[in-house]
Amino acid sequence: MLENLVALQQADSTFPSGSFAFSNGIEGLAALGERIGGEGFGGEGLSRAIEVVLRHRWAGSDRVALILSHRAGNDIDRLAAIDAAIEAATIAEPMRTGSRRNGAALLATHSRLGTPGAEDLRQAVRDRRLLGHLPIVQGTLWRALGLGEGAVAQIAGYQAAAGCVTAAIRLGIVGAIEAQRILTALLPILAEVAGRPLPESDPGEEDEIVLTAFTPLIEIAAARHARADLRLFAN
Amino acid sequence: MTSVTTTSPAMPPARSPARASAARIGIGGPVGSGKTALIERLIPVLTERGIDLAVVTNDLVTKEDAERLRRSGLIDPARVSAVEAGACPHTVIREDPTLNIAAGDELEAAFPGLELLIFESGGDNLASTFSLDLVDWWIFVIDVAGGDDIPRKRGPGVLRCDLLVVNKTDLAPHVGIDLPAMLAEASAVRGGKAMIATNARSGDGIAAVADAICRAVLFAP
Repeated sequence: MLENLVALQQADSTFPSGSFAFSNGIEGLAALGERIGGEGFGGEGLSRAIEVVLRHRWAGSDRVALILSHRAGNDIDRLAAIDAAIEAATIAEPMRTGSRRNGAALLATHSRLGTPGAEDLRQAVRDRRLLGHLPIVQGTLWRALGLGEGAVAQIAGYQAAAGCVTAAIRLGIVGAIEAQRILTALLPILAEVAGRPLPESDPGEEDEIVLTAFTPLIEIAAARHARADLRLFAN
Repeated sequence: MTSVTTTSPAMPPARSPARASAARIGIGGPVGSGKTALIERLIPVLTERGIDLAVVTNDLVTKEDAERLRRSGLIDPARVSAVEAGACPHTVIREDPTLNIAAGDELEAAFPGLELLIFESGGDNLASTFSLDLVDWWIFVIDVAGGDDIPRKRGPGVLRCDLLVVNKTDLAPHVGIDLPAMLAEASAVRGGKAMIATNARSGDGIAAVADAICRAVLFAP
């Protein structure tokens, strides 16, 4: 019971993590939709975009880095290798910067809470030994709080999807009820990708770090967004 | 959600955070009340007093306030950071101030002698208040042109700030405001807590605001 409550606490949007300020491409997609014309970017487009994010970015990149970080524990050198792989696999600069800033914000909370390992992680970021991408911070600290790989993947995946719909509400793309309808329809997809096995290497060997992502439209939208004079979100 | 391990299952007991050395203050208030103008006036006064400072702004949809300060010539542009508020100016200073905290930490790491960090909220409404996780002390700025009924509305920002600044005093006669009555009402609703009337355009009252900051968080006499 306590473990589940810890998971709920970490998943709760009231847990200070900085995530509310990142649309992760949704604001850029909305602007691109207006520019392209037609019906613009509405609920249907949002639903498709989040599915693309989950299947083609989160599942093969953020989720893999998250689980590998969970397995790495407090091994800073190993975390640095995973961190560098995220940096290399995240082509759009606003997404890279966003992931690092979001990681720093989450780390700020855990450091002040005294979560085991948080201060070491923060010092490693300060010393430039780590970049501090969000999945690294999540995987390491949520493990320190006793959460297993499955729970960690569920929380991070849920936050990735819920973060997009929350941003969409604030952008006026969908209403709060419609947003939940969209999220409900996405949950089976999230359950499928979050539950994909990530085979472990033989004992004594480190898992190979292979991150894959392909979301070109969202990345173009995010890159345009980064140059926009008017924007509500960090990316 | 069942996939959890059984080791160290709970959050550890809270402990005092390792606080950085610079004092952190907030400046909030409605749109157009003069928050950025106040900071522009405060920077030279505080710098003259030898205070090493930096600023974090929370513009709502642009980086206008950050850019205005960077281009002002009053402060090294590298000492001004902009944090996006994700359409939630309340959240970024209260419910989830972590991006501001992280921006402050970065400035402290970049400028080790930093003594004062000023967080400027995006323009907001009277319910805007700063979390004491983010700042040690905070100012709320209202202006006479916003109406003399603002203190009467008893918004949390007006009531709970450490220092209320009533700005644009020069406009009082032009907008039909009885300034002494407005100040008396503001003081009454605040139970006599600190309040200063300013005209950020001319500089009136700015030294008194700087004095209040120095006394409150920099332990100046």
